Amino acid sequence: MSRKPYQPSMPADWWLKHPAYRFYMLREATVLPLLFFIGSLLYGLYCLSQGEASWLVWLSWLQQPWVMALNGLALVASLFHAFTFFRLFPQVMPLRVGSRTLPAGWMIAGQWFGVLLVFLALWWLLGAYHVIN
Amino acid sequence: MSLTKRFQRSDEPIWWSLFSAGGVCVAMLIPALIVLLVFGPSLGLLSPDTLSYQRISTLLYHPLGLMFIGAVIILPLFHAMHRIHHGLHDLQWAHSALAKWLCYGSALLLSFLALSLWLLGR
Repeated sequence: MSRKPYQPSMPADWWLKHPAYRFYMLREATVLPLLFFIGSLLYGLYCLSQGEASWLVWLSWLQQPWVMALNGLALVASLFHAFTFFRLFPQVMPLRVGSRTLPAGWMIAGQWFGVLLVFLALWWLLGAYHVIN
Repeated sequence: MSLTKRFQRSDEPIWWSLFSAGGVCVAMLIPALIVLLVFGPSLGLLSPDTLSYQRISTLLYHPLGLMFIGAVIILPLFHAMHRIHHGLHDLQWAHSALAKWLCYGSALLLSFLALSLWLLGR
């Protein structure tokens, strides 16, 4: 062991020093507006448990400009998260068909298609599906 | 390093699995849910009566509604608090066992709250 070991310094603003680090931190920050949306859902769950009047209060709260703005930010953040997340899948788990590896672009497109299917299914469930039980 | 060094099992696989599962839910489900719930009424995607108390409570208090809550509240919570835990370390704001347990503890607590509210409303 050397007598004066090298101590690498790590300034707290290290992540501002390189575009890749800033990109990483931006993705980490996507959870901040997400937490606001999760909080909105928890508030909605509470209001639903309190009865109809309270549920209507929540629905109109959701339409307030500042709430819409923050949840709009949460939407952008979730799409950005999805963009980075879907790119990882072909690298982490390449799918093979026979002896060929499925092109990464197809796997990414498939995942976005999944997002679209989920949207249509949820839209159908909320908007069109009237008969339950 | 001696051969008798105690090998301590990491709890990271638990948190990382929840983080990863939450990441899938956030990418797949959250965009659609925000578009429909927040912007659906003003964009005309949903009429006001489709979000009525009767309809939503019938849908959500169905046993499958609990799975829905797991996918859009509980797993995303663990996803978010994992990133916050590591973000606090990255920013050098906090890196301690206490910070870790506050992060995952709050995710656990809020998940418990979501489950209780669901049971309460039923």
